[in-house]
Amino acid sequence: MIPGRVLDVVGTLARLGLAAVWLVSGVLKAIDPDQTYIAVRAYDVLSPTAVEVVAALLPWAEIALGGLLLVGVGTRVVAALSAGLLLVFIAGVAQAWARGLSIDCGCFGGGGLVDPGETAYVQELLRDTGFLVLAVWLIVRPRALFALDSRLVDTGRT
Amino acid sequence: MGGASRNEKKRRQEAANQRLAAAGIRPPEKSSASRMPLIVVAVVLAVVVVVGLTVLISRSSGDVVPTYTASASGAVVTAGSGPVAIDVYEDYLCPACERFEQRYGDEITTALNDGQLTVRYHSIAILDERTDPPGYSTRAANAALCSVPAGVYPTYHKKLFDSQPAEGSAGLTDDELVAFGTELGAQGDFAACVRGGASAPAIAAETEAAVSDPALQTDGNFGTPTVAIDGTKIDLSNTSWLQDAIAGQ
Repeated sequence: MIPGRVLDVVGTLARLGLAAVWLVSGVLKAIDPDQTYIAVRAYDVLSPTAVEVVAALLPWAEIALGGLLLVGVGTRVVAALSAGLLLVFIAGVAQAWARGLSIDCGCFGGGGLVDPGETAYVQELLRDTGFLVLAVWLIVRPRALFALDSRLVDTGRT
Repeated sequence: MGGASRNEKKRRQEAANQRLAAAGIRPPEKSSASRMPLIVVAVVLAVVVVVGLTVLISRSSGDVVPTYTASASGAVVTAGSGPVAIDVYEDYLCPACERFEQRYGDEITTALNDGQLTVRYHSIAILDERTDPPGYSTRAANAALCSVPAGVYPTYHKKLFDSQPAEGSAGLTDDELVAFGTELGAQGDFAACVRGGASAPAIAAETEAAVSDPALQTDGNFGTPTVAIDGTKIDLSNTSWLQDAIAGQ
């Protein structure tokens, strides 16, 4: 049996790690909205209006998820939303790969069409899967250290 | 954790609560407090949606109707007749050019309409290989040059970017390029001009000249969109570049 304290530390690392991922990816997308639009458009899935809306909201949604994870508010819900978003990203990259598009995922800024030899679908999917593991851990066991949740909700523990 | 141990835990919790109640201690009220984080999450996400959509709506361009005139020489279209002249290099397939037109199109059109600005649009075809079959960039640039004598360049140029095909697609067909012109009121034999592709050599020469001009490069590379004033590329990350140019800065 692993002591709860160790699991708490693992949970804390998962929470802060996922928070860092969202904050970095969100900020990189937010500072270059035109590039973000081009990246979203390159998946060739959405209508032009939907691309506009997704490209406008996605960076700020990522920053919000990152901020909430950083302070540890509603960790289980935010982890579930994170997992949902990561699954959408994985589906997006997988469909681009399956359809033979050659795009950069634009996961951390950048994005758009690249030369056929420059795609990195395997790395992108593995990376997103790794992030998904962090999110799943927090869904299963959201308890972690330094979280506001423990102040907002009196769990009866001290 | 199995169902049996879960029940066991629940039973022990209830027993503990009973002992607390017997001692006159009420267990902490869980229902309202445990909703607090959810409320915070919901509020934060609602703010994101509202702010994001507000920014989107405030940035989206309306429809300024172009009233300026244009003339063509080789593969360069000169629009307007204002005192400040800028050179714009665009490829009709380039997604960043579509963004450029979306963001600055209205501002440029207004300045052209008001006689503040002259824009020399250089027809560039660097993405011919990015359609299947190749060649959309050149076909679209040729059609745009045809729209000048047809008298509809200002609206046709905008239409080509508004309807920009995706990279990797077949691009718009010649029929579609002709139909856009007809829709916008093209005069003369626009269809034959589009299908003839007579401007292709001029477009190729213009592209070659732009690509090999060091003054238009960043880190040794030429890309579209590029805007130059007095022959020198300007930094488009400065979003007030056009006001600055008109103000003579």
